[in-house]
Amino acid sequence: MSGWEQLSQYIMSGLTTGSIYALAALGFCLIYNATHIVNFAQGDFISLGGLMMYTLLGAAGLPALLALPLAVAVVAGLGVVLEAAAVGRAKSREITVLIFITVAASVLFRGVFKEVWGKQALAVPPLSPDVPLKLLGATFTPQNLWILGITLAAIAVLIYFFNHTLTGRAVRAVAINPKAAALMGIDTRRMVRLSFALAGALGALAGAIITPITTASYNVGVLMGLKGFAAAVLGGYGNFLGAIVGGLSLGLLESLGAGALSSTYKDVIAFVVLLLVLFVRPRGLLGGGEETRV
Amino acid sequence: MEPLLKVEALDMSFGGVQALSEVSFSALAGRITAVIGPNGAGKTTAINCISGVYRPQGGRVLFGGQAITGLAPHVLARQGLTRTFQNLQVFTNLTVLENVMVGLHGVTGKGFVSAMLRLPGQRAEERRIRARALEALTFLGLAARAGLPAGQLSYGDRKRVELARALVARPKLVLLDEPVAGLNPAETEEMGRVLLEVRRQGVGLLLVEHDMSLVMRVSDQVVVLHFGRQIAQGDPQAIQRHPEVLRTYLGCQDQPPPGVEPAIALEAAHA
Amino acid sequence: MNGGRAFLWQLLALAAAVVLAPLLVGNPYHLNVLNVMALNVLVVTGLNLLIGFAGHISLGHAAFYGLGAYVSGILSSTHGWDPWLSSLAAALVVALVALVIGIPTLRLAGNYLVMATLGFNLIVTILILQLDEFTGGPSGFSGIPPLKVLGRSLASDQQFYWLVWGAALLGLLLARNLADSRVGRGLKALHDSPVAAAAVGVPTAAYKVKVFVLSAVYASLAGSLYAHYFGIVTPKTFDIFFSVELVTMCLVGGMGSLWGGFFGAAFLTPLPQVLHVFDEYKDVFFGGILLVLLIYQPQGLAGLWTRHARARAARSA
Ligand SMILES: Nc1ncnc2c1ncn2[C@@H]1O[C@H](COP(=O)(O)OP(=O)(O)OP(=O)(O)O)[C@@H](O)[C@H]1O
Ligand SMILES: [Mg+2]
Repeated sequence: MSGWEQLSQYIMSGLTTGSIYALAALGFCLIYNATHIVNFAQGDFISLGGLMMYTLLGAAGLPALLALPLAVAVVAGLGVVLEAAAVGRAKSREITVLIFITVAASVLFRGVFKEVWGKQALAVPPLSPDVPLKLLGATFTPQNLWILGITLAAIAVLIYFFNHTLTGRAVRAVAINPKAAALMGIDTRRMVRLSFALAGALGALAGAIITPITTASYNVGVLMGLKGFAAAVLGGYGNFLGAIVGGLSLGLLESLGAGALSSTYKDVIAFVVLLLVLFVRPRGLLGGGEETRV
Repeated sequence: MEPLLKVEALDMSFGGVQALSEVSFSALAGRITAVIGPNGAGKTTAINCISGVYRPQGGRVLFGGQAITGLAPHVLARQGLTRTFQNLQVFTNLTVLENVMVGLHGVTGKGFVSAMLRLPGQRAEERRIRARALEALTFLGLAARAGLPAGQLSYGDRKRVELARALVARPKLVLLDEPVAGLNPAETEEMGRVLLEVRRQGVGLLLVEHDMSLVMRVSDQVVVLHFGRQIAQGDPQAIQRHPEVLRTYLGCQDQPPPGVEPAIALEAAHA
Repeated sequence: MNGGRAFLWQLLALAAAVVLAPLLVGNPYHLNVLNVMALNVLVVTGLNLLIGFAGHISLGHAAFYGLGAYVSGILSSTHGWDPWLSSLAAALVVALVALVIGIPTLRLAGNYLVMATLGFNLIVTILILQLDEFTGGPSGFSGIPPLKVLGRSLASDQQFYWLVWGAALLGLLLARNLADSRVGRGLKALHDSPVAAAAVGVPTAAYKVKVFVLSAVYASLAGSLYAHYFGIVTPKTFDIFFSVELVTMCLVGGMGSLWGGFFGAAFLTPLPQVLHVFDEYKDVFFGGILLVLLIYQPQGLAGLWTRHARARAARSA
């Protein structure tokens, strides 16, 4: 294989995993903007997305066109439950407590997934039959194209939603200033819940499209979720464009880094990047500054 | 006399809001310098810039002749510059006494290791801290409340705890952000006496306050801010007759209505 | 964070219980559980300093514990260092690592530390698994020599019992001393209001980093004790799940309460041994307890107690 072919191979796989990180990072941003907490269960949304696809596609034999929206709906529902039954119900409003509620929920979710689906890796059928494709020397499968396409589509839908629908603008208003939004008659609690639902949906989507490549398991999303977080920090925490840029850059960095060094330490790269960003530029690539007020 | 605090051409803006533009004034040691102005004039922002909470975007701050612009608040506290807060910031999980003991943090020095191992000298320092804090509480009439959790205090008492905490280390200058806001007339009267006593002890005070009768009674100098700009500086009598100040407070009139004391007119216009 | 004189009496009572317990517990297996409990008390006490003082939570303490175990284990067995010296060296290494993680994350508002420590724990687990030349990889690292006191090695459960409980009591005492001091008040103040604490001279960023490093050192020392007690360490002992377990111990007892942490560790350590089915449902169980507590009783069990005590004080006043 020539150097060029290898490079385009790395870029292809970097963009593929980068899409997943971007989707996860967007989920983190949505919930952060609505509540100022980091949602640790974002990775479990990814796991559940994959596990649902395994059950719906494989065991129940549904067509992909039906299974995908169903999986997304189920995980979005779990997002709403997380807000309604846990985060929104907490007696304390202290951020540390709220964040730890999501940590606890994540542990609980993982335990439940393990009981239902077991510990083994489960093969998820791809969205369309595997045939090797070739482009600029890179070999890939239709699933890679599905991942890129669906991620792009999800981003387009989000952009439309936040800029051109009343509800989308209401969610943004709540993120900018919850008090003012409430005074204008926006049901802030509903918007927060909607953010959790959207974060769940994005997680499900990520899990549904990546697990045909990685296989599904009760904890497959944990690492992806964490890297999604690293991507969000890299882009500028809470910034949507930053999440996308951060996700794709992290995916590329990881795949090129693994190619250049050794794939053994591939998983370390994201966290080294995370620590470096926090060290050098905590606002991330695209984040703005913020003053505390006293 | 060389001023203790010198603020030169401070600039600070938040997004589109120019909270301070080219603000310059000075404050003398052992004197009370008041900073007044309508809501949103930039008074708190000025205190935040001086005390190191914000880093001003332009200009500089001199304290005792040294440039202190951009130094961290805890460094300034050690140099004898402390403050109180407009929105109370007492440590609600500590007792009243402990709140004031923390006020001595900058002028004491025993660290982690001596605390954990109770090394020699550590106990003696603790005793000194306790004694001085009790003294400060007594000065403010709070000794009886020393053991209470600060979270249980009334609003007025919290204000006094903040003041005790800012004074206990015998700083050179204290920045006071609305020390009598929300106090009743008797408490305000008492606070006025305390401020004058502190002044008599040689501590400089920068007093941000809306209560004009207090300001006019205790201040040596008054600085007036309006929309982030400084529109006047002078002694209280001069300020009360300053045409631009009156315009700011009373709309377009150049004179207060006949028969109304200037200080009261300012007060009324503000309310 | 408690620190008054009453604490000393309570500590004395605990010391008495520690002395009496071996008379009642003959079974070496139970003694072993008590020893593990003391190790957990040590780690949780350190973690509690961080949670109670700085208001930050670390999900990397299992990794500090693991580093303490592995570094000391490797130095003492592969390189023949004295186990005490290697434990000290491990603590130094851990302190440095904590410094590197703490400086960038703790000066930021928001809980970046949670994520950074979680990521760090993952890295450590991966490294332990991958660097099998040094660490023994997935099957673990064995042949770690026991600690020696006056030429006698503390290898038996009984001998180690005295050492580890001595360490736990000392750890509690030192933590209490810190709470009841100038530095302790500064830390509590910065937890309540960082701006006001800074305004009276508390170096808030530096204090948070120091307390984080201190809490990591507690974990490291406990880890080294673990390694020299069991003689073998495996990567699984130090994974993220153990970090969550440690935090659960802190939160069950009550965030930032030293006795709360003690009771959390004392209650949750023996559970897996008592309930055998428990192992299978561990995640559901820990996640469930933690979730319910955080939603309805964020002050933990210690919170119930203080509320009760306050109510009583209010009635009698
Ligand atoms: N951290 C901040 N972020 C954004 N805007 C700010 C911030 N701090 C102050 N401002 C704005 O700067 C202007 C000056 O505010 P400042 O608090 O200094 O006024 P003030 O004179 O203290 O008013 P008041 O008498 O009401 O306390 C206001 O318009 C305020 O909204
Ligand atoms: Mg103000």
